Amino acid sequence: MSMKHQTPLLDELEKGTFPSFVKEIKRAAEHSDYAQDLLGLLELSYKEKVTHWKHGGIVGVRGYGAGVIGRYSDIPDQFPGVAHFHTVRVNQPSGFFYTTKALREICEVWDKYGSGLTNMHGSTGDIILLGTKTENLEPIFAELSSKGWDLGGSGSAVRTPSCCLGAARCEWANIDSMSITNEITQHYQDEMHRPAFPYKFKFKVAGCAVDCIASIARADMSIIGTWKGDIRIDQGEVKNYAQNGMDIQKEIVDMCPTECISWDGSEFKIDNDDCNRCMHCIAKMTKALRPGTEKGATILLGSKAPIVTGALMSWVIVPFMKMEPPYTELFELVDKIWEWWDEYGKNRERIGELIERLSFTTFLKEVGLEPQPAMVKEPRRDPFFFWSEEDIEK
Amino acid sequence: MSELPQRQTDIGPPHYEQFLPPVIQKNYGQWKYHEQLGPGHMVHVAESGDKIWTVRVASPRLLSTDTIKDMCDIADAHCDGHLRFTTRNNVEFMVDAESKVEPLMKALTDKDFLIGGIGPRISNVVHTQGWVHCHSAATDASGLVKALMDDLGDYFTTKTLPNKVRLAVACCVNMCGAVHCSDIALVGVHKTPPRIEHDRIKNMCEIPSTIASCPTSAISPDPQKKSVKIKLEKCMYCGNCYSVCPAMPIADPKNDGIAIVIGGKVSNLRSNPKFSKLAIPWLPNTPPRWNETVAAVRKILETYESGARKHERVGEWVDRIGWEKFFKITGLEFTLQHVDDFTFARETWRMAATFKW
Amino acid sequence: MEKEELKKIIYQLVEKSTGKKKLKQSDILKKVAADQGLEKSEVKAALRELMDAGELIFTYFGGSFVEIPPKE
Repeated sequence: MSMKHQTPLLDELEKGTFPSFVKEIKRAAEHSDYAQDLLGLLELSYKEKVTHWKHGGIVGVRGYGAGVIGRYSDIPDQFPGVAHFHTVRVNQPSGFFYTTKALREICEVWDKYGSGLTNMHGSTGDIILLGTKTENLEPIFAELSSKGWDLGGSGSAVRTPSCCLGAARCEWANIDSMSITNEITQHYQDEMHRPAFPYKFKFKVAGCAVDCIASIARADMSIIGTWKGDIRIDQGEVKNYAQNGMDIQKEIVDMCPTECISWDGSEFKIDNDDCNRCMHCIAKMTKALRPGTEKGATILLGSKAPIVTGALMSWVIVPFMKMEPPYTELFELVDKIWEWWDEYGKNRERIGELIERLSFTTFLKEVGLEPQPAMVKEPRRDPFFFWSEEDIEK
Repeated sequence: MSELPQRQTDIGPPHYEQFLPPVIQKNYGQWKYHEQLGPGHMVHVAESGDKIWTVRVASPRLLSTDTIKDMCDIADAHCDGHLRFTTRNNVEFMVDAESKVEPLMKALTDKDFLIGGIGPRISNVVHTQGWVHCHSAATDASGLVKALMDDLGDYFTTKTLPNKVRLAVACCVNMCGAVHCSDIALVGVHKTPPRIEHDRIKNMCEIPSTIASCPTSAISPDPQKKSVKIKLEKCMYCGNCYSVCPAMPIADPKNDGIAIVIGGKVSNLRSNPKFSKLAIPWLPNTPPRWNETVAAVRKILETYESGARKHERVGEWVDRIGWEKFFKITGLEFTLQHVDDFTFARETWRMAATFKW
Repeated sequence: MEKEELKKIIYQLVEKSTGKKKLKQSDILKKVAADQGLEKSEVKAALRELMDAGELIFTYFGGSFVEIPPKE
């Protein structure tokens, strides 16, 4: 099929060495009217420097309030192919592993009912099927769900949980991030598909403090694998690193944030009591050093992007939790947190913002968590604090 | 149209186990160490002695089903029908024998896939939808990434840096990609207030929730017009009101632009996770190649490359040398916009007499 | 309480609110459970039947709400 619209500005972005999204849209345009008109619409945006998509709309599949993002062009007469251009979020398998058979199945459904364009994957982690019309939503859902796929989260709901690949291919996985993510997803299906919260709630699970899934920056609940006990050392392998040119003093010892390592050229020593488990030494000497063997997770809460009152990073609410199926302790904690959020949260107020508004101490009391030094960077610096009735001598 | 199959609800995603390559199923949770073998390939070794080689390629994230099928063809021919995606949208092909690595890499290169992104380099750029699909985009995202990586591609495929550099692009301050903890991130920004369409606001918007959406309390009721008004001097152009009220459009092609924030990280290695901080408040929105923005990123990257110590991330390098020195050696202008006057402003002021000339 | 009656109460609450204030799922559960002296889970089950039948739908407007579907 020849291209319907002239796209001189977009054509610029077919040049160059890095993979081109324009080439991708043009490939889809060989067999898709959606993609043809998307090129025209996007070219206009490049020319006018403004978006041509309207605010969302009321579309979805029956019974669900999540998983479909309604999208309409503001100039449908000019570009009828993208008059409707809804997104379908399909819940990815944990860890983003696929068989080609599974991927081809999804492609087949999408070529039949949609634009042939995808994101592998969206920011949150879903398989994003980009662009279809309202009447195709039910057929897409029937086709996909009958093949074992379900939709992901959107709106004021549990958003599709995602994780690093953890135990599947990483020696630093202190927790089975893929299993935990799958269990959370299955446990909270209703909360994902039928929005009932003040706003979105994201789970991200990282196997270790390297945090390849960026959980600490963008998950309302960040679950980060860690350990107790001593870092395991293979002294022979330490020597190999030294012999192969690593300056252990400079690159490892001097860069340890807690200054708990020493190296005299023959023995590598760690004062584990002083180690804060940042993982620098382990990450740089993968063959010589390994995390300790008592594994679990640190649970952090509250991160989000800047809207509305500034970006937050998650902070510690449970320093150490054993993470073993069926993950009852985790689910009980989550349910308590949600109950409190449901009671006090305002529309569009994330859990982190609610805690800021009503105070971390209120949260700890209401959810029943004991205060611990691991929860704070430092104690308060002001002399203003609350006492309760039972603290007062009558 | 043929009859549709029976729909199912609340089944959740397929279990990941069925998608894992056999060598991973066998050694799940039993990996011992890994080694980087090149800019785009590495090997993981299990306690059992089994090994898995991974080859990573770049992706524009926006993929046609045709390209996905090309990837499947290669995975069928070389990887027993398995492949995966990374959290930064790279694609990874895995094989269980060293002899299979070279043929796999050749097949990928023959199909113009770009191998790289592992180790102290730039990996795929995390980004949002932009003008391809979003109603609140101040700029495009895919195009910015393409322009940026055409210029910086060597840092993906071959060249090394002091440590990895995580780039990200958000097309507005909603930051769907949560780019606010990246080494270098580009953010689409507005610098003019929303326009109030009084005629539409009555039917389209709830006045109380529109007022409540403003982080600086700049919006108040306008009972006469059954609408709202904006205290202009209080508006910081975040666009959150537009998110809840479509009758308050904020897009302004002449004034929308790109801010650059730097020095963030999510890993705990060495230093704690950090937010990215403002390096450049505004650059013009200049598709299709965004030359000013690309040049600014290259400048920051090259200054980092020449000044940072081995293993230092961008934020750790700046923390060591100080922000005053960062502005000096990059030659970037320090403006009123760099001084924080939002929620957490006070923590950012210098409460010490020590700084560099 | 009969489920059909409960469904009617929920539907009427949403109907009455239309054009005035958008209701979130949780607003409905809290209000109906309190008014009728029921568990939220009972209200939720009834609401879900209304949703599955398409009599009420979820909408999104900078947050998710429960509304009566627009007339074609």
